[in-house]
Amino acid sequence: MIKHLGIIGDWVIGYYLEFGIWVLGIGRWRDTMLTPGERERYDRQIMIEQIGPEGQEKLKRSRVVIAGAGGLGSPIAIYLTAAGIGMIRLIDHDRVSMSNLNRQVLHWEEDVGKKKVQSAATKLRNLNPGVKIEAIEEMITETNVSRLVEGCDAIVDAMDNLPTRYILNRCAIEKNIPFFHGAVNGFEGRAMTILPGKTACLRCMYRGSVPGEKFPVIGVTPAVIGSIQATEVIKYLLGIGQLLTNRLLMYDGLEAVFTEFAVNRNPDCDHCGSLVQKE
Amino acid sequence: MPVKVHIHATHRRFTNGQEVVEVEGNTVGECLNHLIQQFPGMEKAIFARKDRLHNIVEVYLNHASAHPNELVKSVRDGDEIHLIIMLAGG
Repeated sequence: MIKHLGIIGDWVIGYYLEFGIWVLGIGRWRDTMLTPGERERYDRQIMIEQIGPEGQEKLKRSRVVIAGAGGLGSPIAIYLTAAGIGMIRLIDHDRVSMSNLNRQVLHWEEDVGKKKVQSAATKLRNLNPGVKIEAIEEMITETNVSRLVEGCDAIVDAMDNLPTRYILNRCAIEKNIPFFHGAVNGFEGRAMTILPGKTACLRCMYRGSVPGEKFPVIGVTPAVIGSIQATEVIKYLLGIGQLLTNRLLMYDGLEAVFTEFAVNRNPDCDHCGSLVQKE
Repeated sequence: MPVKVHIHATHRRFTNGQEVVEVEGNTVGECLNHLIQQFPGMEKAIFARKDRLHNIVEVYLNHASAHPNELVKSVRDGDEIHLIIMLAGG
């Protein structure tokens, strides 16, 4: 009798477990379906043939980490939030200063002294409450970088220094997460997309350490480069278009010229070279 | 037909404002030496020491990265060299 009840009990538990899993699955499916409000919000981009409702759902399911909430991070975060990325994790350890305001358009005069990630998160949540914004106030180091990018589909480089870019580059390669590089100086900028193990990485071009220094810049330059990086992220997430892989795109704002250079994978690269040899 | 060296905007003060300088040589290194013969101010701008470029200077040959061992890369008449400065700002 006891054994018989046990079998029935197992059956009942099993039934409810299966039902629970089914409910959770439906729940996840419903979470990524577009609501009527989202269909209205994203109407103009859903109209784009390469996006459509399926593409918009892909963006909704995506998780992107943006390393830096400054000059590049501002346009990247604004456009990815407006586009409806499901989750954006914004990382920056700095506070807003008056000299940031010429280019870091997520931060306003009233934000001077506030944590950048808090200032940015407030604006981004107001822009699009449907996007989950994770604001992390930490300095990116070799020790914490793996945790900081965990669970994300893309890492976007919005840093202001090369050493941290290389930390991100190495982590992206180790965790096989695409890395979207951008950098600016004055009226000049550059962008490149890195697919770990497949295309040239940032370190493939490494020629030795470069002293960090205060750099000149006007806001329109990171606006251009950050927008290109955000475009690359969207293209990658949707699997559309031609990415800037093995291609370094240089922008000269003064001459109003874009120039493209081919970049080769370096078999001796200390970040991705071992992946080259395995192929 | 000579080789054309495209000068980065920050270096044009050493080339009297010239954006493109025509040089001759069989390698990138020889071409850069010829550039320096014409415009001596370019030496400190691109070289840290003899045969060693500044880490911040990138060389592209015919729109493709010449890294590594840029200076020994062969060039032909009509080739184009771009001298670019690495960017780090954000």
